[in-house]
Amino acid sequence: MHDRYRHSSRLFALWHAGGVLLLLGMALWLYLMGEYERIPLPAALSLLMMVATLLNATREEHSRLAAYLALICGYLLIAVELPRQSGLPALWVGLPPVLTLLLLPLAPAMLLNLALTPVWLALLGNGQLDGQMLLGYLSLVAVAALVPWEQARQHALLRATDPRDAECATTGRETLHELLESEVERAGMLGQPLGVLLMHLPQLDMAGEQFGHGARQALLDTLCQAVSSRSRDHDILGREGPADFWLVMPDTSESGALMVQHRLEQALEQITLMDTGPMDVRLRLCRPRAGESWPRFEQRLETCSRSLADG
Amino acid sequence: MQTKYKSLLLRGNLLIAAVLMALLATRTPSLTDTLLMWLAAAWLVITALLLTFDHRRPATLPWQLLPILLLAALLWGEPGRHVTWLWAWAILLMLPQPRWVLLLGSLLALATWWPLRDLLGLEQWVLSGLLLAALMLLGLSRALDLRARRQSALRRARLVPGLPLWPGERLPGDLTLERKRSLREGVHTELLLLHVPRHRCWPLAQRLCRLTYRFEHCYQLDPTTLAALLTSRNPDERRELLWRSLEAHGPARAIPLAGLSSLDDERRALARQPAGLRVIGGASDA
Repeated sequence: MHDRYRHSSRLFALWHAGGVLLLLGMALWLYLMGEYERIPLPAALSLLMMVATLLNATREEHSRLAAYLALICGYLLIAVELPRQSGLPALWVGLPPVLTLLLLPLAPAMLLNLALTPVWLALLGNGQLDGQMLLGYLSLVAVAALVPWEQARQHALLRATDPRDAECATTGRETLHELLESEVERAGMLGQPLGVLLMHLPQLDMAGEQFGHGARQALLDTLCQAVSSRSRDHDILGREGPADFWLVMPDTSESGALMVQHRLEQALEQITLMDTGPMDVRLRLCRPRAGESWPRFEQRLETCSRSLADG
Repeated sequence: MQTKYKSLLLRGNLLIAAVLMALLATRTPSLTDTLLMWLAAAWLVITALLLTFDHRRPATLPWQLLPILLLAALLWGEPGRHVTWLWAWAILLMLPQPRWVLLLGSLLALATWWPLRDLLGLEQWVLSGLLLAALMLLGLSRALDLRARRQSALRRARLVPGLPLWPGERLPGDLTLERKRSLREGVHTELLLLHVPRHRCWPLAQRLCRLTYRFEHCYQLDPTTLAALLTSRNPDERRELLWRSLEAHGPARAIPLAGLSSLDDERRALARQPAGLRVIGGASDA
């Protein structure tokens, strides 16, 4: 996952570096054409883009500040150069909205695009309102926004249908509740016992605040690894809250479940992590009562999980 | 639900874009352009109407190709009038689409930019080309991120939020798991394979999910094959009941997991089998 972020932020850094080259090339071209008074703008903007490039190259995630810097460069260049371009204002009016949509998330991009409509039209139309150009600009904004919309929809769809948790190798909360409900139903139908082991990691918040993302991730990974190596294939480990985990054990009697709890406690006590020290995990076993309905059992599990977290 | 709300907003945006396109169409003098604009507006409206929040209908290829072709046609037809739309190429590349469509889009962008030389003059022509290339690269890099995530997630994600219908890629793993589990627990588990006509696949998949228990997963192996893992203590009665209420009329096979040797063989056998439910290694045909 982190490789992917680094990969895409490297791409963004490369793109910004390309922008620097483009601006320098433009300055050089103006120098060759002898239009010296126009040189300072692209030269200054290339420095700004350089800063944006460095921001993207040094940070792990794609930096918002760099995006705004690139946007400012683009806007200034278009605003100052546009009135000179006597040729085709209809061409240049399409550039700012597309640049904005590509650099910023959808909501701020649309806000900027709509707010800046009069600015671009005034700059290009020399103060007169050109109906055709306004219509063209607005339809481009409306149509171009559809693509980021579709991307956002795909993201939401992946999140809603992905059974796994985003941070560690466990089942996500919604899927956990669905699977647990189905296991309760199965246990009831086949007359099997069922156990749910509740776990809470009290060190997680502190690890994130004091030692950073790496320590927090190490804590999560260690817990998931320790639990999955000591459970059966069809046991389900799910993440109920940021620091709360449930291990669903189908077809497990009370004594079997207590044995699992005991073994896990012993194993986790012996683990010591580099930053956070000895691992501290609170465990509690919870089992459905005879004739208890699923909503009641779910409620009891959640209450139990909360009281475990409170200590 | 937040996701539903977002779909609604997207639909609104699609319709607004369609209205603007229609307005543009009424103000365009030449007949070809007007037709193209109306076509674009119709595409937007139909997309808005067909929009659903699931993975089951990945936009079919001609449907995705249409915007690219429309844009190229507009820019070729009357470049002076529609030159604003040149920049739309950069944003079209951001859509999730197969590699060759991306390539085609890039080539068409080049082909529509090239003839603008007379219109723009050399300096502006070169500048606009460089800027367009830069923007297209930015669009591509934004698309790549989502692509990677999509490809890895689609193999394990369910096909519709909230419905236990899974992609066929998950079945082999689940089969191994369920086989071990049914042996340990002494419960009968069998694989039900259904061959269905393409147009009935989706309603039948939904009905199958509704009729099975929550813990019995259903799968869509391909556009005409559905599968379900049935678990029960008295398999014959359960299968009969399910088959009757399912009202599927095509060929179907029920294979106990203990007797299942190869999924591919069973799927081939299903394709050759006449209509009706056949129980493998059990009593006679039903």
